[in-house]
Formats: sequence, structure tokens, C-alpha cells
Amino acid sequence: MSARYLARQSAQAIFTILMIVLLNFLLFRMMPGSPDRVNPRNPNVTAEQREAAKARWGLDQPLIPDQLVAFVGSTLQGDLGYSMKFQGQPVLKVIGDRFMPTVLLIGLAELIAIVLGLALGAYTGWRRGGMADRIGNGLSLILYSMPYFVIGMPLIIIFAAGLGWFPTSGMLTAGASYAGPGQFLADLLAHLVLPLATISLGLIGGYSILMRSSITETRAEDYIATARAKGLPDGKILRSHAIPNALLPAVTLIAINLGYVVGGAITAEIVFNWPGLGTLTVDALNSRDYPVLQGIFLLLGVSVVLANFVADIVYGYLDPRVRQ
Amino acid sequence: MSVAPVAPVVPVDVRGVRWRLRLRNAHEFARRYAGRRDGVVGAAVLLLFAVLAIAPHLFVGPLQTVTTATGAALEPPSSAHLLGTDEVGRDMLNLTVHGARVSMVIGLLATLITILLGAVIGIVSGFLGGRSDQVLMRLTDFFLVLPTFVLAIVLAPIILDIVGTDAEFFGIRATLFVIIVVIGLTSWASTARIIRSQTLSVKERMFVDRARVIGGSRAHIMRRHILPNVVNLIVANTVLTFAGAIFTETTLSFIGLGDPFAPSWGQLLNAAQESGAPGLGAWWYIVPPAFCVVVVILAFTLVGNALDDVLNPKSATR
Repeated sequence: MSARYLARQSAQAIFTILMIVLLNFLLFRMMPGSPDRVNPRNPNVTAEQREAAKARWGLDQPLIPDQLVAFVGSTLQGDLGYSMKFQGQPVLKVIGDRFMPTVLLIGLAELIAIVLGLALGAYTGWRRGGMADRIGNGLSLILYSMPYFVIGMPLIIIFAAGLGWFPTSGMLTAGASYAGPGQFLADLLAHLVLPLATISLGLIGGYSILMRSSITETRAEDYIATARAKGLPDGKILRSHAIPNALLPAVTLIAINLGYVVGGAITAEIVFNWPGLGTLTVDALNSRDYPVLQGIFLLLGVSVVLANFVADIVYGYLDPRVRQ
Repeated sequence: MSVAPVAPVVPVDVRGVRWRLRLRNAHEFARRYAGRRDGVVGAAVLLLFAVLAIAPHLFVGPLQTVTTATGAALEPPSSAHLLGTDEVGRDMLNLTVHGARVSMVIGLLATLITILLGAVIGIVSGFLGGRSDQVLMRLTDFFLVLPTFVLAIVLAPIILDIVGTDAEFFGIRATLFVIIVVIGLTSWASTARIIRSQTLSVKERMFVDRARVIGGSRAHIMRRHILPNVVNLIVANTVLTFAGAIFTETTLSFIGLGDPFAPSWGQLLNAAQESGAPGLGAWWYIVPPAFCVVVVILAFTLVGNALDDVLNPKSATR
């Protein structure tokens, strides 16, 4: 891998992250309701007090560069401000508390969806036009058209409210005390099944459709014809010649999707009341907790940019043609 | 004037030829599209929903509100209420049919903004090249990478707080208007990329050079020579964008950014979730809007894919 390719990709990633920070800065200064704009309505607030408030919040300084520099500086130090809703806790802590449940849920769901989706796509693409392709591809298209909550709500109705196999919401039973780690794990697993199924199903469609078209393209390549001419069995050609080459675009999609692991399935978390970043986003949205929203936006933006960066690097590594 | 004609000059009926060509193209297109069964089924489904969206009151009467609700709370389906009722006793069939109008109108307007932005930026960027191209493509890349859905979540309440919930724009309530604008602003980037790459190849063709040589302005060339040659891509992309817009609208409404007074399908599902319908097993509250969402998005995707294959044969292998 050439150093120039690496340098160009890194420069682009850093530029994009800086743009996200700038956007974060500008967006939240467009909002109504800063201290000096609210106070004038109160006749008891004197001009001096208003000036003091402005000075205290740094609002008497020019927006650019002083306020911007201060903002970027504290953002880089991990100071994202304080939540309005959660008793003034630091945003970083509020977000940190919700981080692991989301990573656990979406990480597992991605794993399942990648394996099943790519396998389904490879099989349907290889048998393009056949019965298995029609059913498999139709299923993928339907799943691809379903938002997470459209998958999750029926699952609750059938398996939680109807059959009573799984709990309807949460990550652990409220107020439960566990005799050992085994019981804890069992409780976690019972709560995990339905949201996990929801997100996996929601992701399978995209992977399958991508892999199907990729395999179809690969099937027309000369080296597949060569392999066939050599008399290799069909399954062997698929496994050792078609799939490794067709995986290339899939690798990119996987890397990009991993960027969304952090905040990906907001609506799935809502449906199951999963205590992750998705429910936090909506809580912050409903109570207009802007510092938290800002923090989530930053976190997600940065992870998506990093994931894209990784995708570019991996792709450049796997396919020498894109490096120039 | 009695000058004998030297040779009979046959007047070329330019307009007639153009129309005949168009008619032949349209006929050819219809023939090839009809061969795509999935595309035809999708189009039929969309036609049905378009009719529902245009005149919902003809089928189910005016939109029921809390005060005009006709049933009891969360009634399961019966002969009086074919699809049951919601938590305040409104008829689900009534709500779902009216939801078609809200969802489709938001989807349509958001798609128009997306395509307009994407096509203009794509054509201008590709045709002008140089510095403007670089700047516009940096911007496009930025919007492409940005998690648009989260940006939409952050943008929507800010815009709403600035304009106020009671404001109206062109007769559309602020909440819905904000959703439309936010979807439009956050999803044009991929369209711009596609249109730009096509513009780059059209630009190199001979007729563009000819137009430039005879003094056509850049705006004229873009409008009369580039646009007609990328319009096929725009059409297919519009339909696929429509699917995406409805998907995003449904999701945004579901997390509470919708308008309870003009319920889209996503808004209905939000109300179902808020009232605890899934845990109560009230499937009739969830299935009708959820079914419509999936069917409409699927139909748009099928039509979009079929159009793409028919209009842009080169991409048919993809």
C-alpha cells in the first residue's frame, strides 16, 4: 500500500471529522434561547446582569474564531458539556453508560446478519433465475423494505405477548437478584433474543442483495469459465473461486456498517426499550436535551468516518486497482 | 411571384419527426417494461395507493379525530370496524387510508427536493469540472459519509424550535414541512454522484462540442444537451429515492417527529408503540400501517429496479 494513498485517505477522514465538529458548533448556535436572548423578557434583569451572563458563558466573544476555538478545544479534550435531562451529568458519562448495551446488541446482530446474508446472497446469485433465487431474493427485498420497528412489533405480539416465550422489553428483569452468573446470563439472553432477531432480519436483506449482484457479476468472469473447463465441481467453483472474489464489495459494506454499530438501530431499541444509545437519542430528542444530541451526533459521525476510512484502506489492500 | 420551383423542396416537419420518434421510444419502452413482471406488479400497487392518497375520503369518509371517533378503545376487528380501532376508538381502516395521503405526499415532496438538489449539483459539478467540481464533490462526499438519519434527528427539532410548531408553509403544517426539508437536505448526495458520473461521459460526446462551437452558453448546453441525456438515470433514481424517502419518513415519525394531527403510517405506529399496543397483543393497530409501509416501499423498489434495467441497459447486469 502506497504511503500516498494512505495519506490521502487520512487527510480526507480528518477533514470530514473537522467538518462534523464545525457543523455541530454551528447547528446548535442556530437554536433559539441563549441566555442573552431570553433575559430581555424579564424586566428585573439589568443590562449589567445580562452582560455578566454573556461574559460567563463566553457569549461576549466573537463567534468565530474565539467561540469556535474554545468549542473545538474542549471537544478534543472530551468535554462535551452537561446533559440537561440527566441531572446535569457530563454528556460523556451519559453516553458512556449506554454504550455497551448497544455495542452488544448491534455487534451480535451484525455478525449473524453478515453470515446469513452473505450466504443467502451467494446462493441465490449462483442459482440466478431458479426457484431458490426467486424465493430468496424476494425475501431479501421484502426484508430490505422493512424498518426495524415493523419487524420488531409483530415479533413482540407473537412471541412475547402471545406465546409468552420472551419478555417484551428491557435488557434485564427489573429488580431481579441473581444467584450466579449463569442466571444473569440466562436473563440477559432471554431479553436479547427478540431485539437480536429483529436487527439481524433487518440487516440480512441488504447484505444478501449486495452479495447476489456481486456473485452474478463474478459468474461471468473468465476464470470461472476456466474453472468449469477444468472440470471442477460446481460447489467447489462457488466456494473457492466465486465467493472470495465476490466478497470484495461486501467487505466494504461490512466496514461501513460497523460504523453504525454505535447508533444504528435506534427504532429497534425503542420497540424493545433496550437501554442503549438509540433510546438515549430519542429520550434526548423528546426532552430537547441538545448537549446529549450533539454528543451522539459527534460520536456517530466520527465512528462512521473511521469505518469509511477502514473500508477504503481494506479495499485498497484487497484491490490494487483503486490505489492510484 | 411566379418563379418556377427548381426542385421541390420537401419541408422537413421537424416537430412531426420529433414526436414520431418520441412515440416510437415510448412504445418501445412500454413493450420492454411490460416484460418485467415485478415492475408491472409494483406499478399496479403504486397506482392503487396513489388513488387512495388522492381521495381517501371517497373510500372511508373524513379523517376521524378523538371527538369523531366511532368505536370503543382498542376494539379488535369486527363488521363495524373491519380493522379494529385505536386507543381512542378511531377506526383503523379510516386512519390507514388517510395515512396513505400523508405518507405519499411527504415522500413525493421530499423526493422532489432530493432529486432537484442531486440533479443540479451532479450536472453542474460534472459539466463545469475544475474547482467548482472539487468543491461540490467534497460537499457531496461529506453528506454521503454523514449519518444522515442522525443528522435528520438533530436538524428536525432545531428547525422546529426556530420556526415554531404552529407555522405553516405553502399550506403544509410546520412539523411535516420540516420532515420534508430534512429528508431532502440529507439524501441528495448519492443522486448527485450518479448524475455527475453520467454527465462526465455525456460531456465528451460530439454534439456537446458542436453546441459549444456554435456559441451555446454553458447554461444552455447543460439544459438542452446534458439534461436530456441523463434524464433516464434521473427517472430510475427518483423512484428509488421515493422508496427511501418513505422509509425515512416512517422512521422519523415513529420516533416522535411526526404530526399527530396528520397521521402518516409511521405516526400511527408511533401511537401504537406509545399506547403499548404490542405488549397488549393489539395486532390490528400495528399490522395495517406496517403492511402498507412495507408494500409501498417494496413496490417503489421493484418499479425503480425495473425502470433502471429498462432505461439504463448497461447497468442491467448489476
